[in-house]
Amino acid sequence: MRIIYADNNATTQVAPEVREAMAPFFADDYFNPSSMYEPARRTARALAEARAAVARHLGVSNPQSILFTSCATESNNTAILGAAKANPCRRHVVTTAVEHPAVLEVCKDLQRDGYEVTFLGVDARGNLDVGQFVRALGPQTLLASVMHANNETGVLFRIEQLSRLAKETDPAILFHTDATQSVGKLRIDLERELPHVDLLSFSGHKLHAPKGVGALYVRRGTPCRPFMIGGHQEEGRRAGTENVPYIVGLAKAMELAARHEEDERVRVGGLRDRLEQGIEERIPFIQVNGRGAPRLPNTLNVSCHYVEGEGMLYQLSDAGICASSGSACTSGSLEPSHVLRAMNVPFTAVHGSIRFSFSRYNTDADVDDILAVFPGVVANLRRLSPYWDQERNCPRPDAETRIK
Amino acid sequence: MAWEYSEKTKQLFMDAVHGKPGTHLGEIENPDGFGEHGSLACGDAMRFTFRVQRHPTDPTQDVIVAARYLTFGCTSAIAASEALCSLIERGRYTPIQALQVQNKDIVDFLGGLPRQKIHCSVMGAEALESAVFNWAQQRGVDLERLGIDIHREEQQEGRIVCKCFSLSEPYIRRKIRELNLRTIPDITNAIKAGGACMACHHVPGGLQDLLDEAWGKGGGGPVLTQITLPAAGAPLVPATPPAEKPLLSSYQLSKKIEQAVEQYVRPMLRQDGGDLEIVDIKELLVYCTLSGACKSCAGANQTLRMLVEQTLKEMVDERIRVVQV
Repeated sequence: MRIIYADNNATTQVAPEVREAMAPFFADDYFNPSSMYEPARRTARALAEARAAVARHLGVSNPQSILFTSCATESNNTAILGAAKANPCRRHVVTTAVEHPAVLEVCKDLQRDGYEVTFLGVDARGNLDVGQFVRALGPQTLLASVMHANNETGVLFRIEQLSRLAKETDPAILFHTDATQSVGKLRIDLERELPHVDLLSFSGHKLHAPKGVGALYVRRGTPCRPFMIGGHQEEGRRAGTENVPYIVGLAKAMELAARHEEDERVRVGGLRDRLEQGIEERIPFIQVNGRGAPRLPNTLNVSCHYVEGEGMLYQLSDAGICASSGSACTSGSLEPSHVLRAMNVPFTAVHGSIRFSFSRYNTDADVDDILAVFPGVVANLRRLSPYWDQERNCPRPDAETRIK
Repeated sequence: MAWEYSEKTKQLFMDAVHGKPGTHLGEIENPDGFGEHGSLACGDAMRFTFRVQRHPTDPTQDVIVAARYLTFGCTSAIAASEALCSLIERGRYTPIQALQVQNKDIVDFLGGLPRQKIHCSVMGAEALESAVFNWAQQRGVDLERLGIDIHREEQQEGRIVCKCFSLSEPYIRRKIRELNLRTIPDITNAIKAGGACMACHHVPGGLQDLLDEAWGKGGGGPVLTQITLPAAGAPLVPATPPAEKPLLSSYQLSKKIEQAVEQYVRPMLRQDGGDLEIVDIKELLVYCTLSGACKSCAGANQTLRMLVEQTLKEMVDERIRVVQV
């Protein structure tokens, strides 16, 4: 069966060019880049070149601003806990209610340690209120951590504006952004367009590098203490022998992403738009989560009223289509997506969300196939539903009252 | 405790606290270079500002013509600040040349400092570095390209060794070599590290380890910048605290700001079909957005600065700053 992979916000396939770039470092070039002999110098040079490439693709002039980590979660932990450690006099953090758990849970842990944390809400489209952000900043604020693109809905936050406002309020407030979903999908030019961002995290496996490598941009001079302590690697800012093959892979992946940037925006964006439109035409009572807000070009999060997400995923998977859902049954907890709840997605729809996320490896045929299968999937479930009027193909008049 | 200060040190201190003409106490308004070092919590802190005579074409040829300090600290901290300003002004240095002024020069100028007080001279040198860095930023001078490394990062990054004074491993390591520090007391005297709880003296990765790393185990006898001079009985005159400005409560302040906006700013904007919304007021920071015709106006930022900020400065408080949301 043909597999249609439409879950690229979860992870991506490793690009063949990336595999190829990594290969020598699993073979002859296995040396520790910290060693002194000549073969190891070659490895060290590859590491330096990779660092320079990653910096260049982020619009950063000093490669030493890039720290390599094991994943975005480690980058986020380093940024948030490192900032708190470096500024022990301040006890307040501002973040949003829709962050990835790798930020949200770290902030909650700070809360347990006595920090005050402001979790900013969003409106129904997923937008932050800038006024609320400004009002949350105070003399105790040490860090504002606001994601660039939401992993579930693809909604983009105006990092440029928010970071500027944080710095104009108080230059000592650090600004961190989790850019895991935007690096590789959008062009990022830190020094020119985001000069007020101090810390930016991302990982490789969202942009066709393998799992197990991430990076953290730390603007030089940013007070941020190390999270991993040990050897002198990364100038003492992140201990542990550098994962050279994966770092080389990440650099290659960023180079490819830069090359495909227009394709991602135009063609992949076109696939998403066509899928969105097709679903709207074919399925009644749906809502596109995040519509009306600026969004990533590759992400579609759609909720089908009166349908539960897990049932949709199961059927899609049966047809070879890989997607994901924010429903409670798929999240491992008893609650549906915290992102959709923060957006006040109605109860009738919050369990019925499904996310399709494309990459440059998706094609028109993928969209056709999804459109051929998905309406049936939803109809199947609605047929089973006590809230659905089969004949008129709409919710029963009393549905909304019964669900409460 | 009466430190054994040199006559020069005592003299400079007395002149400063009595505001004798010719001293350098104070702060330059809108300085060309602004630097700080130390903190209230650490027991001494210095704010150092300078003005340059700007070179018409090449900022690296700017010449420092005035230097002022505000220092929170002991006799020698104030004398060292005074010494720093005198040295800088006397030399008619460019900011980059001024970086050549080292803590040792300050000690010499003062005719020596008690060894426990060497850190006062180091503070001056650090504040100077910081001010030159600020000048470079203001004037668009790329110090790194000129081959000048002023170590901006190291205090922010790397592991903290001395937690009491928040001093990092790279900073201490550099200072050990630069100032030729051979023993833990040397380090404490020069940069205060290890001077409070002393927990960092012999722990793994502590001061002794850093010394051993620099000089080898059991390396080097006690060598230190020459320090001298007896003559006890230095009068201990406390530095005058900065005059406090009578302040409005933040509630009164925001009321006044809102009134001024209502009475003066709004009517002016409305003449041109515009308006403004106050998003938040935090003490002296006023956040607003322009609306109506102003919103799409290319000069919106200019309008905020010139009209709104200027009006509020005049009507309410000169320290007000307007932030466009």
